[in-house]
Amino acid sequence: MIGAAVLAALPLGLSAYGVSTGIVYFANVALATAWALFSGPTRYISLATAAFVGVGMYTVAFAHVSLNLAVCLALAAIVGLLFALVVGLSTLRLRGVYFVIFTFGLTELMRQLSSWYEINITHKLNRFITISVDSIVIYEMLLVLAVAAVLGNWYVSTTRLGHALRAIGEDETVARHTGINATWVKVLVFAIAASMMSLVGGVYALRYPSIDPTVGFANAWSFQVLIAALLGGPGRPWGPAIGAVLLVLLSDLLVGAFSRYFTIALGVCFVVIVYFIPGGIAPRIEQLYGVLARARQAARSAPGASAPQEPATDAAAADDKTGTETGEIVRRRRSAFHPLMRRLTRPSPRLVVRDGAGPPPGAMLSVVGLRKAFGGLVAVRDLSFDIPAGGVTGLIGPNGSGKTTVLNLITGELSPDAGSILLQGEEIIGARSFEICRARIARTFQLVRVLPGMTTRENVMLGRMFGSDPTGPAAARSEADVLLDRVGLADRAELIGSQLTYIDQKRAELARALATRPQLLLLDEWLAGLNPTELKIGIDLIRRIQREGITVLMVEHVMEAIRALCGRVIVMNAGMKIAEGTAAEVLSDPKVTQVYLGDDDAAA
Amino acid sequence: MFEVVLNGLILGGMYGLIALGLNLQYGIARMLNLSYGEFFTAGAFTSFFTITLYHYNPLLGLSVSVPVSFAANWVIYRFLLLPLIRRAPNRDALDGDVVLSTFGLLFVFQGFEQVYWGGNVRGYYFLSFPVHFFGASLPANRLLAFAAAMALGGVLIFVLRKTRFGTALRAIAIDPIAAGLSGINVLELSALAFALGGAMVAISGSLVSTFIASSASAGIVYTLKALIVIIVGGPGRMAGAIAAGLLLGVAEQVGGYLIDPGLTLAINYAILILVLLIRPTGLFARG
Repeated sequence: MIGAAVLAALPLGLSAYGVSTGIVYFANVALATAWALFSGPTRYISLATAAFVGVGMYTVAFAHVSLNLAVCLALAAIVGLLFALVVGLSTLRLRGVYFVIFTFGLTELMRQLSSWYEINITHKLNRFITISVDSIVIYEMLLVLAVAAVLGNWYVSTTRLGHALRAIGEDETVARHTGINATWVKVLVFAIAASMMSLVGGVYALRYPSIDPTVGFANAWSFQVLIAALLGGPGRPWGPAIGAVLLVLLSDLLVGAFSRYFTIALGVCFVVIVYFIPGGIAPRIEQLYGVLARARQAARSAPGASAPQEPATDAAAADDKTGTETGEIVRRRRSAFHPLMRRLTRPSPRLVVRDGAGPPPGAMLSVVGLRKAFGGLVAVRDLSFDIPAGGVTGLIGPNGSGKTTVLNLITGELSPDAGSILLQGEEIIGARSFEICRARIARTFQLVRVLPGMTTRENVMLGRMFGSDPTGPAAARSEADVLLDRVGLADRAELIGSQLTYIDQKRAELARALATRPQLLLLDEWLAGLNPTELKIGIDLIRRIQREGITVLMVEHVMEAIRALCGRVIVMNAGMKIAEGTAAEVLSDPKVTQVYLGDDDAAA
Repeated sequence: MFEVVLNGLILGGMYGLIALGLNLQYGIARMLNLSYGEFFTAGAFTSFFTITLYHYNPLLGLSVSVPVSFAANWVIYRFLLLPLIRRAPNRDALDGDVVLSTFGLLFVFQGFEQVYWGGNVRGYYFLSFPVHFFGASLPANRLLAFAAAMALGGVLIFVLRKTRFGTALRAIAIDPIAAGLSGINVLELSALAFALGGAMVAISGSLVSTFIASSASAGIVYTLKALIVIIVGGPGRMAGAIAAGLLLGVAEQVGGYLIDPGLTLAINYAILILVLLIRPTGLFARG
């Protein structure tokens, strides 16, 4: 704040050169921060920065002839937003390199089209900017934008939106199944970031006497901003700002020192960044700061003092105890959320969520005439079954019999060719994964999917923040700790997903599913790979979950668990239901023995 | 109109030729090498100096540029990209690292070319007489590039489909982990595919330099062109790259002829964007 005030007052004493240097710094800070708002957490590498900057510049260049400056700039932001909404809606399902190429192509396309337009329609390549704005005013405007971008980025990272973005970057499928409307979140944030870029472009255009397509849609913007953000560390709100400042400084120094070899030096810097500071500078600074703080603490507490980790664990334990209470309090505060946030998480009107204690009577889920084919392979064929409310139902069958496909059809991951799936009488086919999650159907995955870069606690918080009846991060945090305690992970809340053992990942995934507050929990071979002791604990856990009124459908191969837990078992083979009944009934059914053991053994 | 389409096909053959090497690097070895075009300009410069300084046939320059580019690309894969592959936690992170580091290489190579070969546009005349073909006349040097594209494309398709080495490469392109589990030395063969891609691009640089002047900063243009061709054709598909090259060439010429010559590049990018939106795996990809 003080720094910003000093910077704001600075141009009064600065030379013209100082002011124009400041303009370049602030523009880069604002753009890199805006870039990182979307691309940092989601890891979509966008090269469309120049496209949005150019759109802003051209909006101002076209509009300033007839409108006043403030309106022009507002218009630039709006045009950028709308343009990005269209682009985002059509392209954000592309991933990885495809998205990179697309965004690059977009900038090229815009440049080609604008050149063609200017040459063939207006017959002049240059478009003049006829109002002159004092460079000190441009300086101040860009300073405001830079500060707003950094603060905005920081604010978003603390909100549910920020968590949603990170989850999408880690594993989009999991995000969708945890109640996050991934498409909408991505498009919205992409558009907000683009709007900021267009606004910066609009202000920046005021520096020039005229603009042309190579200035407006200059690829250099895209690359410079990308490098700045990566140099600084896109994972931290203030990382890109540091990166932008360093990059501008570095370019200036390199141009001065090696004018002839500037390009080579720049290239070498790039490679050095990738190899030696992956993740950017910001995390390194934090590390250094952490080391210094610890050293200072160690120096202050005399030798013989306890290790620094212990107080932390105590605090975590204290957190656990107060967890439930704070959860209650914060839940009541939920209405204080920003309406936009509510909009993002509201269950679809198509799905009526029935809130109510205890299991409702009748079938929780009815599957009728379900069919799904992949090309010539019919994975699920005319399948019908009911899952009674309040019980544990087993879905068994040999590998490849279509069990996981059924779970994917129920959770909206796949859409069936025919049939219907009724959740308490309501059709859920056609609803998207996140809507189904919010309609209180949660799942775990056969190949366990914990978000590797988020802590165990954050993994679980996601479920609470985006499932049915969502809360804010603070409430979600305390409730996540309660759930972690229940699945036996309380002491591993701070570990990141990739550090957890296989069993602990399974526990974390279960806690995340429970955090969405399901009425129906789908477990896909959740007990597979556990040793006998763990299996016993697992079975107890599932039994307790059921006693709390959650209906469970479990796909499982562990017969011991099926016998112990399932009131009802459905057996599938080659996409069809071949038997249904109690565990004892189906396991003694000759048809079932035959599909599991083959004809010869069954006969023997 | 016949001449327009013919010109489009010849141009498209050149696009296919440029893309073959990158298709080995990106489609098979799975490394998006943004410094690819720098080896194209290096090939072009070698031919240029072969004819202007030594007055030899410019294609003799291939005897230098091809082995050098092969070796250089092998070194890039082995010493620059391999550490990144080993370190990357997932595909997305690796792609990001590779894009950034090869982008840095692009600057390094471009910087050297600028310092040692100058920033001028360099062109020369070679085989520039017209060849008459069903009433249309086409320059011989362009026809040579077209023929080379078809021949090299054919050889690559044959090698990939019919040989043991090619089968291993296709396995790597589809699933490097499974390929490794089947006893294929994934890293060594990927490095080889990557280096072969470098050799191919040097050849295309020489051939194209006989009719298009090149400059030190032109590399990225060819990288992007090649990338568009590959994405339209489907990564790893050699026949797809040739077909996509022809498609883009014809679309560009016909579009330029019917609408406006100023829009040829826009047409290219519009096709790319459409393909990405409608069929992101490429027009000629399987499945």
